[in-house]
Amino acid sequence: MTEHEKIRDLLALAAAGALTGAEERQVAAHLRACPACSNELDAWRSLAADLQCLPTPQPSPRLLQTTLARAQAKLAEQGEEAWNRRVMIFVVAFAWILTVASWPFFHVLSRGFLSLFDPHLGQSWIAFAGFTSLVWLAGGSAAVLLALRQRRERRLA
Amino acid sequence: MMGATAISLEGLVAVDTDVARLRRGDLNALSELIARYQNRLYRYLLRIVREPAEAEDLFQQTWLKVVEKIRSFDPGRNFDAWLFTLARNAAIDHLRRIRPQSLDEPLADDAAGDTAADRLPSGEPAPFDRAVATERRRHVGEALESLPLIYREVLTLRFEEEMKIEEIALVTGKPLSTVKTRLRRSLDRLKQSLETRYPGADWQ
Repeated sequence: MTEHEKIRDLLALAAAGALTGAEERQVAAHLRACPACSNELDAWRSLAADLQCLPTPQPSPRLLQTTLARAQAKLAEQGEEAWNRRVMIFVVAFAWILTVASWPFFHVLSRGFLSLFDPHLGQSWIAFAGFTSLVWLAGGSAAVLLALRQRRERRLA
Repeated sequence: MMGATAISLEGLVAVDTDVARLRRGDLNALSELIARYQNRLYRYLLRIVREPAEAEDLFQQTWLKVVEKIRSFDPGRNFDAWLFTLARNAAIDHLRRIRPQSLDEPLADDAAGDTAADRLPSGEPAPFDRAVATERRRHVGEALESLPLIYREVLTLRFEEEMKIEEIALVTGKPLSTVKTRLRRSLDRLKQSLETRYPGADWQ
């Protein structure tokens, strides 16, 4: 490929303002001695100017309002989802703490206050807390999966 | 030139402010952003899908995505590129669903084997010159419409949206070299199309 052909390949990009500094200098140096390339670059620049001046298509006047209304509904839905999530986390945590706290409470009721100092109480309480946390975790996971599925179905609808 | 730069900087700061407000859930900021990008985003989507009703629907979907993802948007990033990437993804998904052939056919003259999915003069002109210029632009617009998607896209991003090559690379997710190759090929194809459709006119 001759120098002239290499430069010709760069002319369209030169008109598009997409050359590197080195390429621009190379093209400029060639153009000083090549009227054919100079004319071709003018033609590319003219086409580029036409592309920049194409009429801008106008959307319907209602588009802004319709989009805003849908976005507002989306924001409200997101806010509601965030609130529901916080409430659910609080309720689940509260219910679990209540369940775990109920173990020593019923222990005292059934065996008297001194049974609190029974060395086995701590172990069985920890086992109970672990078991109930697994149960609550399973329940919570099921609720989250259900919510995700419902959200996906809402999106597809 | 200085004035234009000042206005452009002012615009960028205003966009950053609106984006920050939107991240806090301010609906007025969203209204301002939609109004600011309305024509540009709609034009870009229309150039991709060609159907006004589809472009309007995708326009709405894009802004819903913005609302959904704005909290995960990194304020240090370029909002224009992020917004147009969301719009592009929505448009490509849409075309994949309803007109898969418009995306998946490799372009015969594209050596990289890409699929389409990847890939005013100063003074007052005289009335006659204005009419000629208008006619010429109509021809350019029609020829642009006839090009494959990846060529329409790169031309509208560069010349109508006036994005830099680096920004186009961000929007399309392609390396700079690919963007430059596409840009050159799209201009070649546009010129060929104009010469074929309107052989009498001076496109040389």
